[in-house]
Amino acid sequence: MTARRGTAVATALLLAALAAAGCGLGPGADVGDVRLTVTRDFGAVAVLDRSPAARESDTVMRLLEGEADVETRYGGGFVHAIDGVAEGQRGGDPHDWFFYVDGVESPIGAADYELEGGERVWWDYRDWSATNHVPAVVGSWPAPFAGAEHRPVAVECAEPSPGSSRSPGDRKEPQVCAATRRALEAEGVEVASGESGKAIRVLVGTWGRLRLDPTAGLIEDGPAESGVYADFAGGDLVGLDEDGAPVRSFSPAAGLVAATSRYGGLPVWVVTGETPAAVRGAAEALDAEHLRDHYAVAVVNGKSTPLPLGDR
Amino acid sequence: MKSPFAYQPRPAPLQLAAPGAAVAYLGAIVAVAFLYSSPVVLAAAGAAAAIAGLLAGARRAVRVALKMGLALAFLIVVVNALVVSRGETVLARLGEWPLLGQVDVTFEAIVAGLSGGLRAAVAMVAAAVYSACVDPDRVLRVLRPLAGRSALTATLVSRMVPVAAADAGRLRDAGRLRGPAAAPVGRASLARRLLAGSLDRAVDAAATLELRGYGLDAPRARNRRARSRYDRRFYAVAAVVLAAAIAGKALGADDFQTYPEVEIGFGPTTLALAALVALSGLAPLRRRPKRQAIAHPSADGTKTALSKRKSSRRREGGGRGKVARV
Repeated sequence: MTARRGTAVATALLLAALAAAGCGLGPGADVGDVRLTVTRDFGAVAVLDRSPAARESDTVMRLLEGEADVETRYGGGFVHAIDGVAEGQRGGDPHDWFFYVDGVESPIGAADYELEGGERVWWDYRDWSATNHVPAVVGSWPAPFAGAEHRPVAVECAEPSPGSSRSPGDRKEPQVCAATRRALEAEGVEVASGESGKAIRVLVGTWGRLRLDPTAGLIEDGPAESGVYADFAGGDLVGLDEDGAPVRSFSPAAGLVAATSRYGGLPVWVVTGETPAAVRGAAEALDAEHLRDHYAVAVVNGKSTPLPLGDR
Repeated sequence: MKSPFAYQPRPAPLQLAAPGAAVAYLGAIVAVAFLYSSPVVLAAAGAAAAIAGLLAGARRAVRVALKMGLALAFLIVVVNALVVSRGETVLARLGEWPLLGQVDVTFEAIVAGLSGGLRAAVAMVAAAVYSACVDPDRVLRVLRPLAGRSALTATLVSRMVPVAAADAGRLRDAGRLRGPAAAPVGRASLARRLLAGSLDRAVDAAATLELRGYGLDAPRARNRRARSRYDRRFYAVAAVVLAAAIAGKALGADDFQTYPEVEIGFGPTTLALAALVALSGLAPLRRRPKRQAIAHPSADGTKTALSKRKSSRRREGGGRGKVARV
């Protein structure tokens, strides 16, 4: 009798421990909608765009398998094909499926990435001959600023304040930085000013100033280092193609909106150009219309051109 | 007690058939199990192996193999369910586990494990039927021209191991017979004695083999046994099963998918193949001998037919001479 009671108590304790550890029967409760986007060629060709409801047990892979026809490899942890489009060589260049959650390349596999609801998951099938590592993209705007994971956002303005002779408390924020702040706040993002170590940084300013930042400066090292298919050469913004080769030199009025990261840290966005006018143009392009499903954009006269360039 | 998987000579078609025919037949069933993942076809292959064993008189071997196979299948299902978190239908969330990470038990992983487990169970039942129904000496004799040394080694091992086991039993009995006051025989001393006896026996066996000319080429024709009338049947069934399995594979009979959602096909091709494979288990079925068959027995059936006749004559009060006159 005592032994039976002991077993019952042990079972009850085990069940309580399992429940406390987040265990349970079934897929779990709804945690909210997740936006799932599937594209090809750096976002140029839309394949799928849905917002299914996610549940506690959902992962990026489970969500994708629920919405598309997916073939996997290596025990189901690696996406081989989506809707029949499979990894491999195309035109002599390697192509594969990559995914971003809230505009950030995931450090773990899709089968292990658990969803919490509210994320923007973007799968893209692209040429990775220039680089297979693009740490961050701008195409999930307003993520990562307004994503599921609420992190502080800091706008770091590299432009000189108007009336710099006044005391620091009286200084007005440069117009271009104010425009960037407004664009973020319009999406419900709380923006902090100045530098913050644990914040997602948005660097705003001319390239001559931003290039001194160690993370932003990676752009000059090419896509293999920064994941950004753009360069600044001879005072102009230069657009690169999928192979990382320069294709087009934009006018000095062209601005750039791009995202990168260093050593796997938080994403850093750059809103820049060679001239203040170019930076202003880039700041005004901070909206879904200009950024959606693009890795980075060059902005000329209010019109955005997705990067990398190519015959996509 | 004899192992349930030990070969038992019986006057049944599978035992009487040439080893090549029996291996081809049972191998075809195992090949189907490894070619297909569909539980429908796997269940049919399992049924075929079990029916074949039962018809061949290896009831105990089949029963034990089924128990072991199903236990292994259960283990595979459990491990797969814990290790693989793929699949859309989450049945239980078991939280974070050391080494395994987040463990989600999915219906799909259970079904995938079941498929793998069924495959293992089919292979085990077929292997048990082979072990209980195919004479290992005849298999080794067939292998001798191909790999003489290996065949000889296997033969010696298959003979010496039971002899050593019997030696161990005898030594243990002798130890007990010394009386209750005697010190118990330790395992180490028993093993030492057994090893010494085995080495002595090995020397004797080597000398005997040398005297009998085992170092010379294997005689080709002397030990050739007459072909069984069942050989053709088993070869034919094996060929039909294999051909149907390959054709069915090409025609999509293996319509089974586990991830991301379970899809089991019950199409006509799958069902037809499953029926054919299951029916192949009837190959060892023995037809009731006709009266003429007793009067004109075939090469392999002679002994059985005559012995039956003999026993019936004995019951009737007849003698050996009467049988000889038939």
